[in-house]
Amino acid sequence: MMKKGIILACIFMFLGAGIALAAAPKPASGDPIKFGAVLPLADITGKQASRAMQLAVKEINAAGGVLGRPLVVVIADDEMKGEKGAAAIDKLATVDNVYAFIGGMSSGVHMAQLPVLKKYAKPTVWIGAAASSVIEAPMAEQAWYFHLHPWDYQQVGGYITGFKELAAKNPLIKLQKWFIGYEEGAFGTTGYKGFQTLWPQQGWEVSGASFKSALMGGGEYRAALRQAKDYKPDAYLWLGYDADALPMLEQAKEIGFAPPMLIGAPPGWPADFGKSPLAEGVSLFGMWAPSLKEVSKVSKHFWDAYNKEFNEAPATYFAPLGYTNVYVVANAINKVGSLDQDKVIAALKDTKYDSPVGETLTITASRALKNQGFTKQKILQWKKGVQQVLWPLDFKTAEPAYPFPAWDKR
Amino acid sequence: MQIVSKLRERRYQAILGAIIMAVIILAVKPEVLLEGIQRSSLYAVIALPMALILGIVGIINLAHGDFMMLGSYMAYWFAVKSGLDPLLAMIPAMLAFFLIGILTFYALIKPVLGSQELNQLLLTFGLGLVLEEAANLSFTSAPLKLSVPYVSASLTIGDLTFGTFEFVYVLAAMLVFYIISLFLKKTRIGRAARAVGQNPKGAKLVGIDVNKTYLIIFSLSIAIIGTIGVLFAMRHSVFPVMGAPYTMKSFCLIAMAGIGNITGILWYSALLGVSESIITAIPGAAGWADLVFFALIVGAILIRSYQQRVK
Amino acid sequence: MKIWKAFVIAALFLAAASLPFYTGTYLLHTIYIIMMYMSLAISWDMLLRAGQLSFGIAGLFGIGGYAATMLQVFTNINPLICILFGAIMAGLISLLIGLATLRLRGIYFAIITLAMAEIFRVIIRNLPDTWTGGAMGIVLNNAIFNGDVKQTYWLVFGILLITIVLSEVFNKSRIHFAITSIRNDEIVAMSSGIDIFKWLVVIFVITSTLQGLVGAAYTEIYGSVNPDANFSVHYSLLPLAMALLGGIRSTWGPVIGAIVLGLAGEYLKLLMPYGYLIIYGLIIILVILFLPDGIMGLIKKLTQKK
Repeated sequence: MMKKGIILACIFMFLGAGIALAAAPKPASGDPIKFGAVLPLADITGKQASRAMQLAVKEINAAGGVLGRPLVVVIADDEMKGEKGAAAIDKLATVDNVYAFIGGMSSGVHMAQLPVLKKYAKPTVWIGAAASSVIEAPMAEQAWYFHLHPWDYQQVGGYITGFKELAAKNPLIKLQKWFIGYEEGAFGTTGYKGFQTLWPQQGWEVSGASFKSALMGGGEYRAALRQAKDYKPDAYLWLGYDADALPMLEQAKEIGFAPPMLIGAPPGWPADFGKSPLAEGVSLFGMWAPSLKEVSKVSKHFWDAYNKEFNEAPATYFAPLGYTNVYVVANAINKVGSLDQDKVIAALKDTKYDSPVGETLTITASRALKNQGFTKQKILQWKKGVQQVLWPLDFKTAEPAYPFPAWDKR
Repeated sequence: MQIVSKLRERRYQAILGAIIMAVIILAVKPEVLLEGIQRSSLYAVIALPMALILGIVGIINLAHGDFMMLGSYMAYWFAVKSGLDPLLAMIPAMLAFFLIGILTFYALIKPVLGSQELNQLLLTFGLGLVLEEAANLSFTSAPLKLSVPYVSASLTIGDLTFGTFEFVYVLAAMLVFYIISLFLKKTRIGRAARAVGQNPKGAKLVGIDVNKTYLIIFSLSIAIIGTIGVLFAMRHSVFPVMGAPYTMKSFCLIAMAGIGNITGILWYSALLGVSESIITAIPGAAGWADLVFFALIVGAILIRSYQQRVK
Repeated sequence: MKIWKAFVIAALFLAAASLPFYTGTYLLHTIYIIMMYMSLAISWDMLLRAGQLSFGIAGLFGIGGYAATMLQVFTNINPLICILFGAIMAGLISLLIGLATLRLRGIYFAIITLAMAEIFRVIIRNLPDTWTGGAMGIVLNNAIFNGDVKQTYWLVFGILLITIVLSEVFNKSRIHFAITSIRNDEIVAMSSGIDIFKWLVVIFVITSTLQGLVGAAYTEIYGSVNPDANFSVHYSLLPLAMALLGGIRSTWGPVIGAIVLGLAGEYLKLLMPYGYLIIYGLIIILVILFLPDGIMGLIKKLTQKK
């Protein structure tokens, strides 16, 4: 009796499956194809990137998977430690037998992963680690290595083009004198060095002062801000983290420092930043802003799907980057129709992907690396609590507010 | 372990008074001094309750900054949910953290009072880890920041424009210092605490309830640091690991002043805060501020040990 | 009894040495990470047995790493020589620090070591990029042994063996007798004519050299250094937690503690990817509450009852 019941149940299940297969979107079946992602899961960047990756996996599998097989992204935590990041690569390669490596955030962790990545030489598409001095040159010869995040110097170069284009449209905008407040760690110092080399080439003046980020136990910016105030810059830019954002403005207001342009470049912004009246008119650099959903279909789709799936808004650009990360590799394999590594790498080089960060992602050569993805960040501005896109002009969602409004007139 | 040593106090007053005077004379920029004092007070007010626990209960509380972090989150959510001024959160915070202190004491501190110092250290390290991770799981690592208009209030006198809100920290440091001093000198339990801090066995012999004393000192300190968390959140971003650097700074300050020397903490935090302020005001020197900070700590400890040896 | 003990140790040694022949890459990698922490924990414990508490492992770990990397970059000689150089540099620097500060006791000495680690980090970060790579650090052309896990494992295992042997020799030596007398009663020790300070300096230099050795090996294995990673406070606190968990004042306590915490961390991470550190913290708290003498204490208790 029992056996018969089970057999019958099986038959029905197969029948059901058959019907399901016959119906339009065929779900993926067979042995899964695995990608291995290494991310800092305790940090919001890694957490949201990993979620966005799972979202992409779900969509890809619903649409037929990779080569008709289900896609699985195995996520490993690097705990923001180099040795753990390297061990995670070993695990993904030998325990999970992944086909490709994706993910990434901190340059410091990635440095320690380079030897182990070279050992496996699998297709690797990285969304983090922007420090060119320690990543780009050492990976220059590796044909299997793709880097999607713009390098530090590319970001700075992008700002030059961006501001020049904005100034061409609005002759009021002055760019002659810049002051950079930079956090004293790797992020701030390498960024500042980029400005020091590229700004004089434009005939622009630049000076700077460092501060200790609130993230590292600092949070006192007044000394740097006072130096900036004495310099009387056309633009003040601070290179710090999200924890520095609002306190920086409060202290700028406190000492009465309101330059014509005030720009921030943290990798993320605190969720409630827009609610502060001090936020109005602050410009920023970023890969992505929620307002892109107004001008980009993919961005809108991503925004809606992420919100629906996780009941939270993507708060960092690592979310759309993580999503992009999975699609880029999956698309390349589907395009080739096999897992032949050389062909997949060739297909990756030919990537044309309409990404949720706005641009269509293509692979070009950077200074030393052959396979570089995005080459610039965007110039955005906080307006009425929302990040609006000022540049690139193709994605513009608002006109720049200039000059920065005085502290007492808001 | 002497909590207040008059002789020392006077000597420190003399040395540090001299330094501060020199700074005032030298300071072409008075704002450097003002901001240095504001910063110093923040260091002092955070270190004071930790010093109280270390001086009397004898425990190095490595979760100290994490209690402050909890207080800051409390201020944030209080203000966001109620729409009231976050300063008002100080009252519920004080009560809540006194209770948290009592619970922590019974659950974790009392069982290890008799065991070796290092175990106590590791226990509070584990507690800090749990608190940080709990905050990370609940609120993510993304920082939150209250937006309170008056924290960026400033005053202009002639050419000088300076912030006024951070004088709250100066006030808080003074207040906490006097409360602790008065409590230790004037109240029965405070006098008991001093006795216990100096000699727990002797105190027990003369009939002081050592455990009760420890409980009150510990809970009181946690109540203070939780309340400071509210003040801290007014001007700083709130995130899970925000407290850890302040635990380390407080620990350094306490060692610099000498365990049990509450007054010394005020002077030494003034020294550290003002020197930090001076260094960061010098163009291009800000990156070295930490070096000066730690060099002063090493210097102070070495000089004191040398003097003691000479004596 | 003695033969039995020697047999167990020989078996353990053989098992550990032959591990690469029957273990996967990932497990081997995890184990050698644990072994690095283990060496740090044992060396920290050695200093503790001498009566001094250090919070500055990270400083010497970082110095070793930086010295090795810089020698590698400037001369490109054999990485093994660079590792030795890193260890020696850490030893030399610790000699200077030790002479200046080892007369301090308790948390005063501990704070000094903590401050030293921070001072090293600030100096390295602010030195010219052409020397130390500044805030961003340096990437080497390649990892030691071209990243071969087996050879890397034996390198780390070798370092661990040196540490264990030194720790055991120290336990059985006349130095240890002298040092124990320091711990028990300084005045007695002084009146018996033992030069406490000299022995403290010796022990401090030895343990610091070991910590520099691990740090140097670490940078050659991962082919990179940067000030925030290599001077991270993790390297000061985790070995301490491991030693305490296993049981301090012995060689085998830190060994057991490192295995338990190291494997627990890795396993919990697989079990609950988000927020596993909360369990990690709870383990520490529970062990301290219920096993005040660490796991070794429990083992001793159990074996004595029998």
